[in-house]
Amino acid sequence: MEEKQMSELESLQVISTMIQKAKTSYHDKGTGAMLWGVVITVCSLSTWAQLHYKYELPFDIWLLTVVAVVPTIILSIREGRRRKVKGYDETAMNWVWTCFGIAIFLTVHANNAVSAAFGDIKDAVEAAGGARPAIYYSDYSSAFMLMVYGIPTLVSAGIKNFKPMLIGGIVCWLSAIAVVYTDRATDMLLMALSATCAWLIPGIILYVKSRKLQAA
Amino acid sequence: MFKDLDPILHSQLRLAVMSLLISVREAEFTFLKEKTNATAGNLSVQINKLKDAGYIQVKKQFKDNYPQTLCSITDTGIAAFEKYVRDLQSYLQTGAA
Repeated sequence: MEEKQMSELESLQVISTMIQKAKTSYHDKGTGAMLWGVVITVCSLSTWAQLHYKYELPFDIWLLTVVAVVPTIILSIREGRRRKVKGYDETAMNWVWTCFGIAIFLTVHANNAVSAAFGDIKDAVEAAGGARPAIYYSDYSSAFMLMVYGIPTLVSAGIKNFKPMLIGGIVCWLSAIAVVYTDRATDMLLMALSATCAWLIPGIILYVKSRKLQAA
Repeated sequence: MFKDLDPILHSQLRLAVMSLLISVREAEFTFLKEKTNATAGNLSVQINKLKDAGYIQVKKQFKDNYPQTLCSITDTGIAAFEKYVRDLQSYLQTGAA
């Protein structure tokens, strides 16, 4: 491209070509979404299996989510280094998913505190001579997690105009309603379904798309 | 009455750079070079003209021990680009009438 004067139509052509080039310059590889889709699906299915087949793993399977933070940070730094351009939507997405990570931590913290309080109340009822109430907070806590899962998924779907994630976000929120009425084992199946629809499948779609674009 | 098109923007390479930068938050010099197919020397001259006009911001830093030049559009640049597009539209509408 040289520095030359153009007609008005040529100017318009340059603008639209360059805007199009900028738009298609960066594609999410979907690795983060795939990673978290797999982690949450595996943790949920493992918890379901423990509840259904009545056995216990020697460790808390959900600790995998803590372990998964490390590759997420490495992937994010590596992708950031490779990238020659930073888009506006990428900044918004980074904020949304960082807030999501913090919100999940806060939700787990609050759920643990409420669960402990439930235990104290049940102890008090039992100490007063009553029958120990057969009510478990864990039957409801998944609803809050699924509600939080749905928010960044739907916001990302809106920013990227990406239908598979929109469907995934809706599945998360429908599951958030359903888990209030189901037992904990079923809650875990719904959580696995939500993680698969919200992150694993959209992640695979993004990965395939980016491979095709790289090959083109 | 035709409005004069901004002479800073009414040049193929400078307009291409501005069109790329209006779509992104920040872009490396190498990205602009790759997308415009311009030579490094020519691109560098045009970037300096846009910078002198206050339309873009140029940040030089080091990335993995290599020099890196980052360009981003300024508010003045956005306003100038929008005005240029409006002026262009009025030209084309008048031409079509």
